[in-house]
Amino acid sequence: MKVSFYLNDVLVSYDVKPHEYLAATLRRNGVKSIKVGCNESSCGSCTLLIENKPVMSCSVLTASVEGKHITTVEGIQEEAAKLSRCFSNEGADQCGFCNVGYALVCYALKKEYKNPTDEEIINYIVGNLCRCSGLYSQLKAIKAYLKEE
Amino acid sequence: MKVNEYYRASSLEDAYSKLQQSPKNVLLGGGLWLKKTAQSYDALIDLSCCELDKISETKEEVIVGSMVTQRDFENSPVVKSLFSDALAYSVREIMGVNFRNLATIGGSIMGRYPFSDVIAGLLPYDVSLEFYPKETMSLEDYLNFKGKKNSILVAVHIKKGSGKGYYKKAKTTALDFPIVNIAVSKVNNEYRIAVGARPMVGALAKEAMKYINSVSSPKKEDFEKAAELAVKELQFLDNKDSSAEYRYDLAKVYVRRGLEEVSK
Repeated sequence: MKVSFYLNDVLVSYDVKPHEYLAATLRRNGVKSIKVGCNESSCGSCTLLIENKPVMSCSVLTASVEGKHITTVEGIQEEAAKLSRCFSNEGADQCGFCNVGYALVCYALKKEYKNPTDEEIINYIVGNLCRCSGLYSQLKAIKAYLKEE
Repeated sequence: MKVNEYYRASSLEDAYSKLQQSPKNVLLGGGLWLKKTAQSYDALIDLSCCELDKISETKEEVIVGSMVTQRDFENSPVVKSLFSDALAYSVREIMGVNFRNLATIGGSIMGRYPFSDVIAGLLPYDVSLEFYPKETMSLEDYLNFKGKKNSILVAVHIKKGSGKGYYKKAKTTALDFPIVNIAVSKVNNEYRIAVGARPMVGALAKEAMKYINSVSSPKKEDFEKAAELAVKELQFLDNKDSSAEYRYDLAKVYVRRGLEEVSK
């Protein structure tokens, strides 16, 4: 079946199987920034935005996004660069596999909350796992990112 | 999972008609657990065009469309205003935001999952389910219903009332399934107690409820007795997450705390 949607504001159409998931479709079509970790809706590495809401793309059927707006990290490059600087300043990353998911979820957090508390930040990012670094340094980095204009 | 057809239903009638065409046609909620099944389906029926993703209220009740996501449910000011935020709180610790933006309230109920925080969280309130074709049943009746329901859950009706709620999800790590989940309410001066993830689907502790509602001004020892009755009448089992004994002990403590909390 053919499915069309807006990928970072560009209309794209892909031939997909009815049971194909969005992470697989995007990676098959060259969007390698989508990382697939657990592939069972747990780790958050595959996070992207659908209509500006963070979701795990390993669990979204591609057929279900017909006509919708999908944002990957390529669509938020300036914000991703800011978060990257903050992560770097706090030593909050190592292998980088989870960073893309973090970038998108933090961008969504920034849009949704004006001055989130630590609890609200943690509750928002808890679905994104990092197996390398301590989560406390990431919290510090995210708080610094949220303060940036 | 293998699927032959992805079917976008244009209306509830259309979705229902498609559902009846094959026993291997299924409705798509959030789709998160469907993925984990190794089954093959003739058709997945997408309900996103059926306008089931709204939360509304009347003077008597709050009506939650079955396709409302867990995230929209927890953020809804209408839901937050119910029973001291206990309903919204019950879904707030389910995985992460990127999961709850997909999982739907209807999907969480229809699956009758033993670990469900949505079911346990709703159970101690006056909640009824509206189906298409026209049928209404209480949440408790649906949980006790044997077999597969071949109709479409349209909305969840939550009756308003004055009072408080309590919800506790006992778990080992932030993203884990509950070892046991406890929901207690005192609405219109009536106590209700639900315990889920035993590891069986949520159930009301009716003997304990009968006891505590018969006491005119319950004190600490009455809450303790009610908690004791609750764990004695409900069954607890072992699984890889916990022993039955540990669940029993946790439930007893949290039922008592819940009763104390809602009585304030």
